[in-house]
Amino acid sequence: MTEKQPSKQNETTQAYYTLLEQIQALDFVLVELTLYLGTHPEDSQAIQQFNTTSLQSNQLKQQYQQLYGPLYQFGASPSGTPWNWKDAPWPWQV
Amino acid sequence: MSTYRKYYRPFIGPFDPCSPIQWKSYETPPQLYLGFQPYNLPQNSPKEALRTGTLWPALFAPYPDPYKVSTSEEGEEQN
Repeated sequence: MTEKQPSKQNETTQAYYTLLEQIQALDFVLVELTLYLGTHPEDSQAIQQFNTTSLQSNQLKQQYQQLYGPLYQFGASPSGTPWNWKDAPWPWQV
Repeated sequence: MSTYRKYYRPFIGPFDPCSPIQWKSYETPPQLYLGFQPYNLPQNSPKEALRTGTLWPALFAPYPDPYKVSTSEEGEEQN
């Protein structure tokens, strides 16, 4: 993030990265819980945590997608018009 | 209770053309000692879990780079 960019853009990129990090953190928790629940199927508390976390993660992703475009393809994300799937930044550019 | 890195002295053959490796080491993270994970272990916050790489601090292991801590001189456990 070069300094030349106007500060407004810094706020939006800052908001972009914080939102993305929250989604990433929640998804990691979901991965851990999925592995844990594989060996602890009756742990109802973990299942309840899994469901609430996945709900939060979906809400954050919806929020992200309204602001910055689709995260997933093949119908897992709504598309903007025109078809903005190909727009930058791609995951490795973020 | 669990030490992380353990060391041992490999066998050094008398006719080995290359210079022998004196010490070898391996990681022993907590899950080796845990067996079946108990229920309701204390958890990290999502951000902390993402940073440390595990949801449960009881299972955390730093995995230090053994080559930063040179294994040639000293042999006892290094955290």
